[in-house]
Amino acid sequence: MYKYIWLKDLKAELCTWKGLVWLPVTAVIFSVTSYLLLTNRELSLLDQTEMLWLFGKIIIGSSLLAVIIDASSLITSEFEYETIENLFLTPLSLKDFVIGKLLASLSLWALVYVVAVPYMVVTSAGSGLTGAFLGYTALFGTLAVLGFATLVFAVSFIYRSMKNTLTTSLVVLLALSIPALFSSALKNTTLARIFGNINPIDNIFSALDNILVDYQTSLGQNLTFIIPLIVFCAAMLVILILSVRAFRKKGIIKG
Amino acid sequence: MNEVISAKHISKSYHDLKAVDGLSLSVQKGEFFGFLGPNGAGKTTTIRMLTGVLKPDEGTILINNCDVKDKQQVSRVIGVLAESTGFYGWMNGEEYLHFFSNLYGIVNKEHTISSLLEEVGLAERKHTAIGTYSRGMKQRLGLAKSLINNPEILFLDEPTIGLDPQGQEDTQQLLKRLNKKGVTIFYSSHLLHEVSQLCSMIAVINNGKLVGEGTLEALQQQTGSKDLKDIFFALTNN
Repeated sequence: MYKYIWLKDLKAELCTWKGLVWLPVTAVIFSVTSYLLLTNRELSLLDQTEMLWLFGKIIIGSSLLAVIIDASSLITSEFEYETIENLFLTPLSLKDFVIGKLLASLSLWALVYVVAVPYMVVTSAGSGLTGAFLGYTALFGTLAVLGFATLVFAVSFIYRSMKNTLTTSLVVLLALSIPALFSSALKNTTLARIFGNINPIDNIFSALDNILVDYQTSLGQNLTFIIPLIVFCAAMLVILILSVRAFRKKGIIKG
Repeated sequence: MNEVISAKHISKSYHDLKAVDGLSLSVQKGEFFGFLGPNGAGKTTTIRMLTGVLKPDEGTILINNCDVKDKQQVSRVIGVLAESTGFYGWMNGEEYLHFFSNLYGIVNKEHTISSLLEEVGLAERKHTAIGTYSRGMKQRLGLAKSLINNPEILFLDEPTIGLDPQGQEDTQQLLKRLNKKGVTIFYSSHLLHEVSQLCSMIAVINNGKLVGEGTLEALQQQTGSKDLKDIFFALTNN
């Protein structure tokens, strides 16, 4: 039954400005970025691999931002527009509801990724890294979107409010993104290293560095970055399950 | 006749406020059951507990001899027009009913949807976005949605609110037809003349407690009042 929730939300993405706005916005971001990388005197002096690394970070960063903002309203809008009661008066299960919503979030990421593909192909032309760039961006983007969307849904069931869910989710994204901006010296402290090892954003950025700058393109060479991402997704899934249990206990209508 | 709605000693509190207090109700198959009470008496809370969207703090509820917690079983036999029904404004009327018919797993949905839209008078506006519907049209669509699974028991919370006189008349006729076909109707309304015309049994609650239950004649005898309005005032101490 998750299929119907997924299709409904996918249609809502495509029929309303809410979802559709992300596609031109990301297209503009990717156009401007790739234009600057290829034509700006200083940026074009970057090594192509460094340029791809920067562009990969921008693709995943902007996609995550789009997906988090969008996912924040996917479940909470059902509460805020009072459509949730009618949904749960049908045989729809909570599990199908969540899976449908998760697929809708992944679909938005897929659409943004499709928009990014031509830019990735053009910027990586001649580097021999096009396949790795496309493949690993898809892999890391999917895992990151899965983890963050799961977190957003967990928060949605707790707050049942779009504003609070969005604020909390953006704070988490910001908290995890800031260490990526630390200087190398700061990153070498023990605490920063431990945090870096479990931080999904840090792992994605380091993996892209490993693949695109250091040419370590095999899956085995990147397992140290992929495993923490899978662990992150699993941890978020546990949080979602706990949140759904609490929601089930309280009931669809808050007492 | 057999019991299709059975609520025993159900209670629900919102923090310090006891919205429903040890309420027991019994509705028989095929009854047109009117449920009355002043604002804040606990009508909507009761309906939400009876339909399984709100958990009672105490008490048991059986719908068609199934525990209301058995969502899969219960949802297939009930239809609900909730008091505060939200809609997906970007969908049109037909898509909306299509979406819900999918959730119920209805076969032959095209025929069901078109006949329901015809029945509630929305056939001509079925391709218009719900966001542009008037309140009355949304109410009609909500009614059509509540009938999409061909329910045996229909819960209606203020179904004619926002409807013009013709809409009210059409809805009443539709409900009468459904009741004649054997559908049990649990009907909550503030429109006392409607309740007295339609309902074979009437229950009145006040401050979360049942203060009167029976046929109109029985309530007339209980209160010594003839008119349902006077009966209502007598039972709710207004």
